[in-house]
Amino acid sequence: MDLQFSVEDIRFRDEARAWLHDNVPREHRPHAGEAMRAFDTAWQLRQFEGGWAGVSWPKEYGGLGLPLIRQLIWHEEYARAAAPDNHLCFVALNHAGPTLIARGSEAQKSFHLPKILRGEVIWCQGFSEPNAGSDLASLRTQARIDGDYLVVNGSKIWTSHGHLSDWQELLVRTDPEAPRHKGISWVICDMKLPGITLRPIEIMTSPNQVHFVQCFYDDVRIPLGNVVGAVNDGWNVAMSTLGFERGTAQVRDQIRYAYLVEKMIAEARRRLGSDCALSDDVIGARLAQLRADMAAARAMTYMVMSRAQAGIQDSQSSLMRAMVGETQQRARRLALDILGPDGLENREEDDWVYFYLRSFSITIAAGTSQIQRNIIGERVLGLPR
Amino acid sequence: MNFLLSDEQTQIVDSLHDLLSEQMPVSRFRPPAPQIGNSDQAFWPQLGELGFLGIGLPEEHGGIGLSAAEEMLAHREFGRHLLSPAILGLTLGARLAARLRPDLLEEILRGLLPIALANPRGSVQVGEICHGEFHLIDAKQAEWILICSEHGSALLRRKDFTAVTDVLATDHVLSLERGVLTGARPVCWLAESQECLYPRAQLLVSAYAVGLAEATRNMAVEYAKARQQFGKPIGSFQAIKHLCADMAIRAEAAACQVIFAALVLAEGRAGADFHSVAAKLVAVEAALQNAAQNIQVHGAIGFTAEADAHLFIKRAHVLEQLWGDTRQQRRMMLAAPFPDG
Repeated sequence: MDLQFSVEDIRFRDEARAWLHDNVPREHRPHAGEAMRAFDTAWQLRQFEGGWAGVSWPKEYGGLGLPLIRQLIWHEEYARAAAPDNHLCFVALNHAGPTLIARGSEAQKSFHLPKILRGEVIWCQGFSEPNAGSDLASLRTQARIDGDYLVVNGSKIWTSHGHLSDWQELLVRTDPEAPRHKGISWVICDMKLPGITLRPIEIMTSPNQVHFVQCFYDDVRIPLGNVVGAVNDGWNVAMSTLGFERGTAQVRDQIRYAYLVEKMIAEARRRLGSDCALSDDVIGARLAQLRADMAAARAMTYMVMSRAQAGIQDSQSSLMRAMVGETQQRARRLALDILGPDGLENREEDDWVYFYLRSFSITIAAGTSQIQRNIIGERVLGLPR
Repeated sequence: MNFLLSDEQTQIVDSLHDLLSEQMPVSRFRPPAPQIGNSDQAFWPQLGELGFLGIGLPEEHGGIGLSAAEEMLAHREFGRHLLSPAILGLTLGARLAARLRPDLLEEILRGLLPIALANPRGSVQVGEICHGEFHLIDAKQAEWILICSEHGSALLRRKDFTAVTDVLATDHVLSLERGVLTGARPVCWLAESQECLYPRAQLLVSAYAVGLAEATRNMAVEYAKARQQFGKPIGSFQAIKHLCADMAIRAEAAACQVIFAALVLAEGRAGADFHSVAAKLVAVEAALQNAAQNIQVHGAIGFTAEADAHLFIKRAHVLEQLWGDTRQQRRMMLAAPFPDG
């Protein structure tokens, strides 16, 4: 047990800090459309050119080939520098990329990974369907093999930024006769293919905010070579990267939230008057507990990282995910309460009201809190199904 | 950075766990055992002989010389087995003695000089001169009493307290008395400005609380697997499964924060105040909530004296009060500088 970092780790941290200090974009990140895409891809390219993209990715595909701990350090420094999150690159960097590294063919890796690191392409996810949400394995989007192609018919939904994406990680049913988890394939889908139509879906944060799309596939022909892993092994391929999504990338969010809580304390002091005993106030009590829980959330992430470093693979990280998500949601609600009557104004994106409304998604996306608890109950605690 | 136990730490935990499970099982409190008070003090010499009372104390003071991490792990096991919280009087009292009364040290570390706890009732003055009303916890046979506060820690004699009267403890397997200090001068007074004992005191009580949170999680999960209703184990129902999952989340959060705080302390890093008060808030909350939900998962049997579940909720409330209650902890939490490291 220790909190030590090696001399090389510390040097890496110092260099990352210095580079971020000089290179983090200071202009406001646009929140929609092509402007947002241009911003995110430019920032990703800058990171790549600075030599900071894909810290733990293999060198032969443009990464730095460093241990996971450096990836964690990079995320910590990234958050500390208040660097803008390039959300559009999230799926590619934290989900599709690691999946390809784990299960992709040589051709798939050498074609896609460098493009992802350079920010040339945006990826989206095509997992959920209108009738397959929490029960993901019941997905029905069908893919029939026709010569060297898969012919896809069906629909996917809750695809974040699908209208701005180039590629999609798509789960399709390739064997309708097999048991639910066995007949699924993980496919790389080009979003520009004929037969794909998109329906924009506005979200609850503010009027006219398109975040998701629903995708319709009408005889979409995808080359069989785009299947990652084996045909019908897509469930395992999808599960192979959950550790990545829930590991290091979380750290960035946590540090950001820890700073948010500090800002909230300062704002509460300002609004309540500096002579107000914050601790005697309901807001003060909630802030204190939140500050403690935020520290614990970070400690849990360090534990998840420690397990990953030791090569332990289990569902333990679902404990961290549940705690972190719910604590972040609680932070957003408390931020609104600190604003008091000003919480009635949804002034602009990027402020506390906008993110309060947005926080309702935290306990739904990538497995609801309730599904997390099923996983904890069954896979961590061994309770019967 | 590594939060996992080393092989040596695992060995320490396992050996202590085996010892306590055999000699001090929680079932020792079950009827027909007397329901008031305990005889844990008789066990201190054995713990002392194995070195657990000075596990984190430097060797030059007669301790084992391990770090705050091992000390934390030991207290987690103490909590899991509901050892009298007067054990904290010994492990913290030894540090006070090492600094100010080395002549007492050997006896303390051998478990031959019981040190009980005094906890303030309302506003008190603790320092070179002490005033105020206190609760004395498991102090019947103790000559020495420890008071621990954010300003400093004091070692007094039992006879310094006046108007001592017996009261029935909510946690009735402890003995509880009221007592008053009027201008008493402690035998030892160690201000926080001289030596920071308080973050360690917070850490150890938090570790003890983690032991409670984990023990109650385990009890609830085992019961949910075994107990059948409607023809199935009750743990297969989501209502029960999710209660157990909540308990697991809280216990893990508390355990991880307590590790974090222990490592910050062990390595002398900035933020010991911040992390130890965070640990106390998170761990006490986990202990209280898990103990309550454990009773709920057990149903009617959980409400009886013959099941062990009630012992944990009662003990959790004692821990909440030690070294400052939740209200005080929250005040300190907001005041602690944010460790930006």
